[in-house]
Amino acid sequence: MSRDVTLVGYAVLAMAAVGLAVAARRRASGTFGDALTYAMRYRPARFAVLAGWLWLGWHLFVRVHWH
Amino acid sequence: MQHDGAAGKRPAHRSWEARVAADPGGRGRAARLAACLVGAGVAAYAWWAVALAPFSWGATAAVVLAGAAAMAVGAWERRPGRSAGGGAPAGIATWAVLTATAGAWQLAAYLQHPRADHPTISSLTNEVLDSHLARAAAFIVWIAAARALARR
Repeated sequence: MSRDVTLVGYAVLAMAAVGLAVAARRRASGTFGDALTYAMRYRPARFAVLAGWLWLGWHLFVRVHWH
Repeated sequence: MQHDGAAGKRPAHRSWEARVAADPGGRGRAARLAACLVGAGVAAYAWWAVALAPFSWGATAAVVLAGAAAMAVGAWERRPGRSAGGGAPAGIATWAVLTATAGAWQLAAYLQHPRADHPTISSLTNEVLDSHLARAAAFIVWIAAARALARR
């Protein structure tokens, strides 16, 4: 898997997310926020999301080599 | 396992934005001023926090404490009744599949080397967040998202 293939994969996923968000608003079906809100009614999911967000912040702002 | 019903009995706490909208008079001005001061404080904190030495305990404490504080504020503002029952929203399975696919793609890139040929999301964001200003802006967005997540 080359760099280009990896980047194309991320781009396709991003476009799919945008397309899904637009379609959800037009059809008045669940947005990503709705899905997240539903999942976070459950304590394990809520804990996982919030802990994962803290880890992401640590990963992006602490565990990194700035140039 | 669902939440117990305790969340539904808590008094409603409103965000600063809601208080300002509900009271355009003197108290609204005071709330606006307070919001501006808090915003300036958060911006100053972000500017300071992202300048700390990477991999240091000080940077870890600055980031984790800020995120935890934002989540505490979000949880305090959380609207009662959000944990009540109800069916899954339409389309949740599609979002779950897309999230799982993105996670698998990221994991596949993470497990391969060299990183330049197999970039992860974080290696790509590191390139974007190279400047102090971009890192501080991203830190503010991260804090705001932490508060928004905890309000759900």
